[in-house]
Amino acid sequence: MRRSIQIFVWTLVLSTGFVLRADTDAEVNARKDALEIAGAFSNDDFKIRDGHSCGLLKPHDHALIAVNLYAGNQYWFSVGTSDPVKKVAVSLYDESGKPMKTEDYSNGDKAAAGFEPENSGQYYVGVDLLEGQEGSFCLVYSYK
Amino acid sequence: MHGNPASDISIPPKTHKKNDAAGPEIPIGNFAGARIIFAMIRLVALITLALLAAISTYAAEKAQSLSPDQMAKAVRTDSITVPTPGELFAALGKTGKINWSAQYRGPIPTTYSDRAQIALNLGGLIADGFIAVEAKDGQQVKNIGSDILKLGKALGVSEQLLGRGNSINEFAEHSDWDTLQEELEATQNEVKSSMQSHDDQDLVILVTLGGWIRGTQVVTGVIMKNYSESAAKVLRQPALVRFIQSKVNEISPELRQQPLVKDVSEQLSGIEKLVSFPADKVPTQEEVRKVNEAVSKLMTEIQSKEPAK
Repeated sequence: MRRSIQIFVWTLVLSTGFVLRADTDAEVNARKDALEIAGAFSNDDFKIRDGHSCGLLKPHDHALIAVNLYAGNQYWFSVGTSDPVKKVAVSLYDESGKPMKTEDYSNGDKAAAGFEPENSGQYYVGVDLLEGQEGSFCLVYSYK
Repeated sequence: MHGNPASDISIPPKTHKKNDAAGPEIPIGNFAGARIIFAMIRLVALITLALLAAISTYAAEKAQSLSPDQMAKAVRTDSITVPTPGELFAALGKTGKINWSAQYRGPIPTTYSDRAQIALNLGGLIADGFIAVEAKDGQQVKNIGSDILKLGKALGVSEQLLGRGNSINEFAEHSDWDTLQEELEATQNEVKSSMQSHDDQDLVILVTLGGWIRGTQVVTGVIMKNYSESAAKVLRQPALVRFIQSKVNEISPELRQQPLVKDVSEQLSGIEKLVSFPADKVPTQEEVRKVNEAVSKLMTEIQSKEPAK
């Protein structure tokens, strides 16, 4: 029930356009998908951060988004996409670019990575297009 | 001696040559030596294998690692690169029980005339709202919500905030703390969104900066009172301060020349050094005190200093 309310509130926020920049329709759809995955983690007391990063995902490209995380918190990075993206993967790197071990969730064109940093500081979220053609993606994250 | 069967085996003279193609003959008497040689060969082989495995793991990791160019081109935005005060407080809350209501500050003026100062204080007030939510103090949330509205009005964004203010009050009355936290984040984003649409883009980073300074002041204050290494670890944020500093450097030269903005920008460089610990180093109590001193000085200026005309 709580999850449904949250998804409804977020969808309302999306539809009323309370975003920092005008997203394309494809990005709005991708964000809806990302919020749907993030909503599942809310059942486990994760709070969805009111912010997102949308963009274009190209084949063999590695979209990277810088985030600053705190040691002690747990995070889930959820990515939604729009057609014609078929399969996507989420990865995490530390500030030196070294890949981090994450708990992975994948459902074709949606994916998520769970991570608990040992050190506070900057990390990079990588989004890879594994199957399909160039399309939009949107990243949201949750923490607890 | 004659009873020993080994003594019946004749040792060939050193000059005696046998089939050279079969390699040098190992005398039976040197059997123990041969075993040592075989053991050493095996050891060398094992070390070589282990080295090869380590090299291939390193090479694979290196191949998967990001290049400096990739990292430099990573997307950095206010809405996802800068954590909210709520995230910082959540991390601190994991390290022990925090007396959040002890972190309140007295009411701040809501009649500033300078827009940059209003933006900085708006950010600070939103961080105060997060503290009140952590303290589960409905009345304090409502008081802060009312001050946020006043400052928002001074910046011309009150209309959009009015709706948020009403829901903040409603959620506070129903002690719906999780939703309240989401409302505060949404309020902060709405203020920034409204600033962007009013061509006040330069003020957005000042709201973020005000929130970060107030949040860091509270967190360092808590750690100073009850130091622990796990709590002190949350203070390491060099890239975050660098990002904020780079955004402050992008604001219009006129605004950057205003005394308060200039002061804040200059002091931020010093603060960046204070929170730039190596990844494996935990800040000491003294280092935490220095960060607290620096951000508190800045906060005092932000909330009380009227910029020179």
